[in-house]
Amino acid sequence: MTKGNRGAFARLRLSSLRLRLVVVFALVALTAAVSASGIAYWLNREAVLKRTQDSALNDFRGEMQNRVATLPLRPTQEDLRRTSEEMTENGSGYQVLLLGERAAGKPIVGASDPDVFTLADVPVALREAVGTRRPVTDANPYAYHLFWQRTERGGTPYLVGGTRIDGGGPTGYMFKSLAAEKADLNSLSWSLGIATGLAVIGSVLLAQVAASTVLRPVRRLGEAARQLGEGKLDTRLRVSGADELSDLSRTFNSAAENLQKKVADMSAREESSRRFVADMSHELRTPLTALTAVTEVLEDEQDSLDPMIAPAVALVVSETRRLNNLVENLMEVTRFDAGTARLVLDDVDIADQITACIDARAWLDAVDLDAERGIVCRLDPRRLDVILANLIGNALKHGGSPVRVSVRTEQGAAEDGSGEEELVVAVRDHGPGIPGEVLPHVFDRFYKASAQRPRSDGSGLGLSIAMENALIHGGTISAANSTGEDGAVDGAVFVLRLPRDASAVARALGTGSRQGEGTDE
Amino acid sequence: MAPVPFLLLIEDDDAIRTALELSLSRQGHRVATAASGEDGLLLLKEQRPDLIVLDVMLPGIDGFEVCRRIRRTDQLPIILLTARSDDIDVVVGLESGADDYVVKPVQGRVLDARIRAVLRRGERESTDSATYGSLVIDRAAMTVTKNGLDLQLTPTELRLLLELSRRPGQALSRQQLLRLVWEHDYLGDSRLVDACVQRLRAKVEDVPSSPTLIRTVRGVGYRLDVPA
Repeated sequence: MTKGNRGAFARLRLSSLRLRLVVVFALVALTAAVSASGIAYWLNREAVLKRTQDSALNDFRGEMQNRVATLPLRPTQEDLRRTSEEMTENGSGYQVLLLGERAAGKPIVGASDPDVFTLADVPVALREAVGTRRPVTDANPYAYHLFWQRTERGGTPYLVGGTRIDGGGPTGYMFKSLAAEKADLNSLSWSLGIATGLAVIGSVLLAQVAASTVLRPVRRLGEAARQLGEGKLDTRLRVSGADELSDLSRTFNSAAENLQKKVADMSAREESSRRFVADMSHELRTPLTALTAVTEVLEDEQDSLDPMIAPAVALVVSETRRLNNLVENLMEVTRFDAGTARLVLDDVDIADQITACIDARAWLDAVDLDAERGIVCRLDPRRLDVILANLIGNALKHGGSPVRVSVRTEQGAAEDGSGEEELVVAVRDHGPGIPGEVLPHVFDRFYKASAQRPRSDGSGLGLSIAMENALIHGGTISAANSTGEDGAVDGAVFVLRLPRDASAVARALGTGSRQGEGTDE
Repeated sequence: MAPVPFLLLIEDDDAIRTALELSLSRQGHRVATAASGEDGLLLLKEQRPDLIVLDVMLPGIDGFEVCRRIRRTDQLPIILLTARSDDIDVVVGLESGADDYVVKPVQGRVLDARIRAVLRRGERESTDSATYGSLVIDRAAMTVTKNGLDLQLTPTELRLLLELSRRPGQALSRQQLLRLVWEHDYLGDSRLVDACVQRLRAKVEDVPSSPTLIRTVRGVGYRLDVPA
């Protein structure tokens, strides 16, 4: 099927406005044309037939009076035949049949042409009507009347008429073919049929034009609405005219304008608040750098300080570290929000990295690692460390020892099985698990389920940052509760999934990794 | 080398400069300070420090430019103080010739460890020499000559070349090199290695864009090839 065909088909699908318009137009045109032609045909038919009929019957009546009435009372068969022949000779185009009686009860027949017209061709009902004698009154001066009937023989219509001469004279019948009139009426009905057809076709075309004039703006409106929905907020319609559709277009335009303004306002507000956070954390960093540099000096002197002052110094040192952490996390978050976060990729042995991560934080005793060496992934080691430290730290803080970290690889979840290989790291604790109402929010910023939980020294950003770090790799983290054999919750499980090779993601971020892109290949 | 390392700290913020000077002095360094890049370059000529700690964001000529100007004449180690670890600052800084970087806010101990690691790179350790084509590495004199001409290598570049030449033909991963040369913990930034390899190639290779000595081993790291 060509595109054009499909397009036409689509334009005429059953429910479409265009099809409905076309059908309605066609029906209206058909009804009008059919009734007009029907009436015209019927009137014409009557007029044509009546004229032919009247002239033939009048002529016949005259001939009967002139010729048949002058026959002797008991004409011979030869008389009848000759008279009937004479009656047809005046060119009126009908055949004549005369019936008389030679003696009472002895009928004789004279036909102008017995091959064409015999008594058998005269309908019985007509014969009875003609033969009936009517009482002569004031209103009815004649005993016998002229009767006629239209009949058909072999598909050709005929006019049959008959009357009887008063006073026991012969009965005469006339027989006229109406073939010529039928042919005329046929051609008339053909013309009317063709005219009806043309009217229907014309109405369909008109309907198409009407549909197009109505539907084009509708389609433009639909297209514009789709673009608006796709986020092209500067979509506007050209408004022309003052009909209902241009009103609709104007309404659409003002709605789109309002929407655009609102969105611009909102994103400007969001942008300014993001800038504020970014600037603020940046500004905080300068004094923090100075503070951090001297906290160690204080720390070193702690032992030799006045016991009244030492706790104050310890507090300054620890809170400076926490503030440091918070600002660091805030900056990290603003970088993700601004989309400026980048991947710095390297080939990393996952088992080594996890060991190093828990070793660096002195968690070796509390963490049970189930990982084979040799699983090498291409990812950002600093970001992986952030993720692992947050997940494991969170498990140690809120869950209970032992925390179990297991590493495996899986074929990606692509439907055809050709998905990229994934690194899957599960961090499982043996604590009380995560309450159901908290579970959907564990990755939210500053969401602390700490109504029940002790106030942690975390920034409230840890899991959210872990999630962002997973997302930037094209991976994800999911949180769930694990249940024991008895169905009771026996801990929380965080599962990290990352692509084994994040090079494609890094390229998409527009940074890529310079590593491994040596110049000697 | 002087028994007490002599550092030049170039930092425009008074509080940070004072605090870092205090902290570094307590770690046993002698510290000279400058509040701008211009002052720093002047001090460098007068005082001949062993190492420079350089802030990136400076009024007037910025840290990168200071770095480039120093490298035109001097191969002394430079450690950058940057705002973030993952942005373009680090890349530009390393390309300008810095040996290492630390991210603000930095703990005095971390900075001290980095400083000592950088200074150790210049220490001689063995007494032999090796020849790789036109390149002669004299480990006793800590010099490298190419076609008989002395090459001006920074201590980091020299150490990188020494580590690679100690295992000729064997590929070393970036993380291995980070531990060997930069003495970083497990989370070393591999961009340090890449930037240093680029600078080293520019000095020792005949055609730096198609290296024959220091080869990239895809998916692993780098390798020093012995010319046939």
